[in-house]
Amino acid sequence: MNRNATFTKFALGLSALAMLASSALVSPVAAFERTDRGTVIVFGGRQAIPVLDPHVRYDWSTRMIQQAVYDALLKYEGDPAELKPWLAERWETSEDGKTWTFHLVKDAKFHNGDPVNAEAIRYSFERGLKLNKGVAWMLKDFLAPEGISVVDDHTIKFELKAPYAPFLSFLPWWYIVNPNEVKANEVDGDYGQKWLTDHAAGSGPFKLGRWEPNVLYEVEAVDDYWKGWPQGDNRPAGVIYRMIREPAAQKAALQRGEADIVEGLTSDDYVQVKNIPGIVIQDHKGMTTFGIKFNTQKGPTADINLRKAIAYALDYDALIQIYNGAATLETSPLPDAMKGHIEVPGIPRQDLAKAKEYLAKSAYKDGGITLDYVHVAGLEEARRIGLVLLDNLKALNINVNIRPEQWPNMVAAGSSVDTSPSMTSVFTTPISIDPDAVAYQYHKNSWGQYYAMAFYDSPKVSEMIDKARASTNWDERATLYTEIQKQIVADQPEVFGMLQNRRWAHQSYLQGFQFSPVRFTGEVDLYPLWIKEEE
Amino acid sequence: MLSFTLRKLLTVVGTMLGIAVLTFVITNVAPGDPARLVAGPNATEDMVATIRTEYGLDRPIIEQFAIYMKDLLSGDLGTSIVSTRPVLDELIRYAPATLELVLVAMTLGVVVGVPLGMLSAVYKDGPLDHVTRILSISGVAIPAFWFGILMQLFFSVDLGWLPVSGRLPLVTRPPEMMTGSLLIDALIAGRFGTFQTAFSHIILPAFVLSFPCLASILRVNRAEMIEVLQSDYIVAARAHGLSSRRIVMIYALKNALLPTLAMIGLRFGWMLGSTVLVETVFDWPGIGLYAVSSALASDFKPVIGVTLLIGFFFIIANTLVDLAYAWIDPRLRRA
Repeated sequence: MNRNATFTKFALGLSALAMLASSALVSPVAAFERTDRGTVIVFGGRQAIPVLDPHVRYDWSTRMIQQAVYDALLKYEGDPAELKPWLAERWETSEDGKTWTFHLVKDAKFHNGDPVNAEAIRYSFERGLKLNKGVAWMLKDFLAPEGISVVDDHTIKFELKAPYAPFLSFLPWWYIVNPNEVKANEVDGDYGQKWLTDHAAGSGPFKLGRWEPNVLYEVEAVDDYWKGWPQGDNRPAGVIYRMIREPAAQKAALQRGEADIVEGLTSDDYVQVKNIPGIVIQDHKGMTTFGIKFNTQKGPTADINLRKAIAYALDYDALIQIYNGAATLETSPLPDAMKGHIEVPGIPRQDLAKAKEYLAKSAYKDGGITLDYVHVAGLEEARRIGLVLLDNLKALNINVNIRPEQWPNMVAAGSSVDTSPSMTSVFTTPISIDPDAVAYQYHKNSWGQYYAMAFYDSPKVSEMIDKARASTNWDERATLYTEIQKQIVADQPEVFGMLQNRRWAHQSYLQGFQFSPVRFTGEVDLYPLWIKEEE
Repeated sequence: MLSFTLRKLLTVVGTMLGIAVLTFVITNVAPGDPARLVAGPNATEDMVATIRTEYGLDRPIIEQFAIYMKDLLSGDLGTSIVSTRPVLDELIRYAPATLELVLVAMTLGVVVGVPLGMLSAVYKDGPLDHVTRILSISGVAIPAFWFGILMQLFFSVDLGWLPVSGRLPLVTRPPEMMTGSLLIDALIAGRFGTFQTAFSHIILPAFVLSFPCLASILRVNRAEMIEVLQSDYIVAARAHGLSSRRIVMIYALKNALLPTLAMIGLRFGWMLGSTVLVETVFDWPGIGLYAVSSALASDFKPVIGVTLLIGFFFIIANTLVDLAYAWIDPRLRRA
């Protein structure tokens, strides 16, 4: 027995070795990060930033850091979003709406000390247009590189090929790079693309710090930022954007104080963390619309009466419940925060009698069909909306086949009439507050894009959209957009769902959070943030 | 032995080429247009075409394959369309983190699994045996991502003992890169504080990754030990009055370890594959995480690169086991 006991002790000791070592080496819980330069805010986000070049990419996480290190002529701020002068202190336009002249502030400078002058603006727009990537689509049909001219050191002029009302609304996303730095790092005439992938040549409130792809991306505050700091001496030393991919891990990091603000919790998580002392939820009405796009050109959903029947059969209140109340129903194809939005009278709400009435008028009066409903794999809310649809359409004797797809596959299928599913759940975030940003999604020229999976074809609507974007008279445009909204709802290319709230959870010591609905999902303006340290 | 080794090496080359061809075909027949994804949601057709041309995606698939194989044979794994960086550079950046994690997990699996398997066999049908059998079944049955989240909630959130994710605290500067392993580099640099924090970060992901491996080693080792302990020579040893410790540790364990060694070889490759889940849960910046983010973006070249690398390590591990077997048992060399 003694021998056995000795042997047992030995084996158990060996087995426990790793655990003992572990307990001896654990580190204490962290709070927000402190450095010699001051406090550093930690932002936990799910999406990486593979390419920072402002003229090549612009998804939400990328643009958040671009906005931190670069400036543009104008900036969106506030809720509702408004265009604020930034590098341009004022501007004017010609009567025909084709010439725009911007007068620049005189004290702006890049991080290396070079002045931000008209030539830097010209070079940046030329670069964006010639690279023909990222932001180029916003202006390339209306602005040629030759149309940009330097009037003097602080004045720049844009000559458009045709009047283009949304022009101004896109300028906050055209960031200005330092031509001297970019040219110095050009390789084989690449406009410095390779270098700007993980370097910056900007004039924004932050400059780049550590850049560890897929791990963390750090920006450091510029002490003498030309526009100053709204929080004065309380400004942070920097911000670390830390990759935390799983919602559960984000929640854990927030609870442990390893992150000061996170963007990717689930609806249920937000309800739970709301009750934790020291955690604040930012819950704002956003501009991201949810729609169930019908394939209006092929299959059963090409029948408008069937589309109407489905739209009237859906339980819209359930959509709000899925988000635990953090959503509002769409009252128009245009989100509420967008200029020109109207509440379209008669937009479908659940009404089974009407649904059956429309079904009777359709080619499928007894139902008996199965329709695909495709959603992005892993998007729980979209899946649950599919279940609501499945349940609701039983009343019409229509079966729903819920199919999760990876995003690339969904986009690929939705790029052609022949492969686009009968119903696809699509979230869309408009790029600006100009109504053209959403209205143009219903133009025939948008076919092939993910948001145009309905393949909606209305010559009347397309004509009105063209007219509205060329007009310089807002009253005329507003009238046109009223008609456009009504006509799109009447044609029912999709089920107009809800506007999902934008939510973030952060520590209560994080101050200065400013919401603006025009920013992408998850995107935060880092400039006004600061940490209030306890006395 | 030399010709056996050469035959094995030729098999390695052939298998690697097979993996390259198969992965290229699978990734290219999968639906999805990486150029359109990278171009952005609003990009026009000509903008998408610009990217297709830049990355050679506008060429016929056969031509793309020929170029890829030619580049591959010269050591070029292509360029990631998402990050715009060479895949080889990214693998060099991410592989050390994965290898560090796998080696720590493997060590944990062996150090805990072998003794527990042995104890379980010695005290067969006793309380300890029942506990370890539950442990071994759980290890094989529990999904890694779920187990990982559970561990995070318990050890990080509830107890507050360990960090949630990552390799180092955010403001800790990593030691100068020598081997790519933070633990080893920190020790080389004499930064024991950094070693301690790096170790606290690796505990949870390594434990989660090692759990199925630990369970398998435990099961195999237990089964082999039970068989060996019933052998005639063990009975004879007992009759000669040798101590239980000596019998188990010296005579029984040695023979029972041979199948366990084969299991370790297999599990090494399996662990590399499992990093896809574990690294995602713990935001461990290795090749598993790189593979996931690339696959979700239909970025094919990194997916092929990671598959080749994992395949390479898998084959090397198994070849080493084969060679070790052949070295131990000369009959295998003639097979």
